[in-house]
Amino acid sequence: MENTHISELLAAYAEGELAAPEHALADAHLAVCAECRAGLEDVSIGLRAVAELPLTTAPDAVWNAIGRELDRRADRRRAARWLAAAAALLIVATAVWYVRRTPGERWEVEGIASLHSVGVGDWIETGPMAEAKIKVGSIGTVDMTPHTRLRVITAKPLEHRLSLVSGRIHARITAPPRLFFVDTAAGAAVDLGCEYDLVCDREGNGYLRVMQGWVSYEWQGKESLVPAGASCRTRAGHAPGTPFFDDAPAGFSEALARFDGDGSALPALLATARQRDTLTLWHLLTRVTTEADRLRVFERMVSFAPLPPGVSRDHVLSLDRAALRQWREELAWTW
Amino acid sequence: MPTLNRRETDDEFIAACRRGDRAGLAALYQAHKDKVYSIALHFFHGDAALAADITQQVFLKLITGIGQFRGDAVFTTWLYRLVANTCIDASRRRKPEVSVADLHLASTASSPAAEWERKRLTETVQAAVAALPEPFRLAVLLRHFEELSYEEIAAALECSTGTVASRLSRAHRMLAEALAPVRSWFETKE
Repeated sequence: MENTHISELLAAYAEGELAAPEHALADAHLAVCAECRAGLEDVSIGLRAVAELPLTTAPDAVWNAIGRELDRRADRRRAARWLAAAAALLIVATAVWYVRRTPGERWEVEGIASLHSVGVGDWIETGPMAEAKIKVGSIGTVDMTPHTRLRVITAKPLEHRLSLVSGRIHARITAPPRLFFVDTAAGAAVDLGCEYDLVCDREGNGYLRVMQGWVSYEWQGKESLVPAGASCRTRAGHAPGTPFFDDAPAGFSEALARFDGDGSALPALLATARQRDTLTLWHLLTRVTTEADRLRVFERMVSFAPLPPGVSRDHVLSLDRAALRQWREELAWTW
Repeated sequence: MPTLNRRETDDEFIAACRRGDRAGLAALYQAHKDKVYSIALHFFHGDAALAADITQQVFLKLITGIGQFRGDAVFTTWLYRLVANTCIDASRRRKPEVSVADLHLASTASSPAAEWERKRLTETVQAAVAALPEPFRLAVLLRHFEELSYEEIAAALECSTGTVASRLSRAHRMLAEALAPVRSWFETKE
């Protein structure tokens, strides 16, 4: 060390943080190096300057504000429990009402001169300039843009299913969840009460973008839950892309594309994530391939949104389904 | 009668927090609030409103996240990681910070003992600290207010001990450079 400058160790030397052997080596170097002695004087000035910063008493208003926020959260949790119970009741009542009043199994089509309605097995295809609208029973509509091809697979009161071969559709559905499905070569978009765009080519490569409500994109038991304002990529023969908010920073969405492609770029994802990107991070918990990566994702998430009561770190890291769901429901307030 | 050290008392309050006992949080708040507030205050160049907001956010994160704190880490390391992340997140949403070049330093050489000059000196130091790059600033403030060891600072900032040593060395030299007009005052200080 005698011949090596110690500029990076000067604070540790001045504050007695070096072990005895290192300290002795530093002493020997300082005895012969004017540059490092000058640096040590600067560090001492800095240390004395920082010592001038006073400890300041936090205002009483801070604790009062914390108390009010905790009261508000407790009220909100109580209200959420009541709301969930009421929503469940409403869904059951709506489903019963819907089943009883659903009309026939042919759906109206607008925009194609030769086709006024479609039933199970029928194909619909728009040309290069044509657009079409399908009235899906009484639960909503599907708009088809030019160069779109699809087929009606099921037209039952409790299952409305289309197969999108290629092109772009815009679906607006006002029905209880899991009554409307769109299959593609890369999975199925399951309506959870929403409005969304679905775009894909013949291989299933494309994307899902949600404007209202939620959509679940599913493939071979794997699922991406996509809320309003978010999208996910779809790829043939692969699990659905990890969902992300459309307003995410460019660096974040680019890193996510790399992660979905080859599993790389996790550090960049974590570094550029914002609080509402916990949507993406929550999905990553089950998608990373090592426990070390899962721990990194978890630690980044809790820096934005601590765990709800009753959910522990061990629950999350062991991918306990109930715990993950409970945390997602808590996080969804910020999505 | 034996007395409890800080870690033991923190453990007691943490256990109370986990039971949902707000008195546990109150005790942790009382024990750490001034240091958390002071770090935020000097991180944000004396912005008292923002420092109060940061302090509030930190303790709200603490109460909702206390379940994932495990006793194998030092509580203060976990707490000050929350402080560091909250400060950095707030800083990203905030207007650009003061740079060293923007500082208007007052010379206090004429009568350093005068109270107003002392206050002015403190403000000058505060401005110089606020102009440090964020990771350097956090290392300096954690060391000064919480007296964390280099290892504890490294754990809180999620970097190596060597990085902490390097950041502190550079930070103090940058402070010396920024405070050159009032250097004589510090040279005569015990």
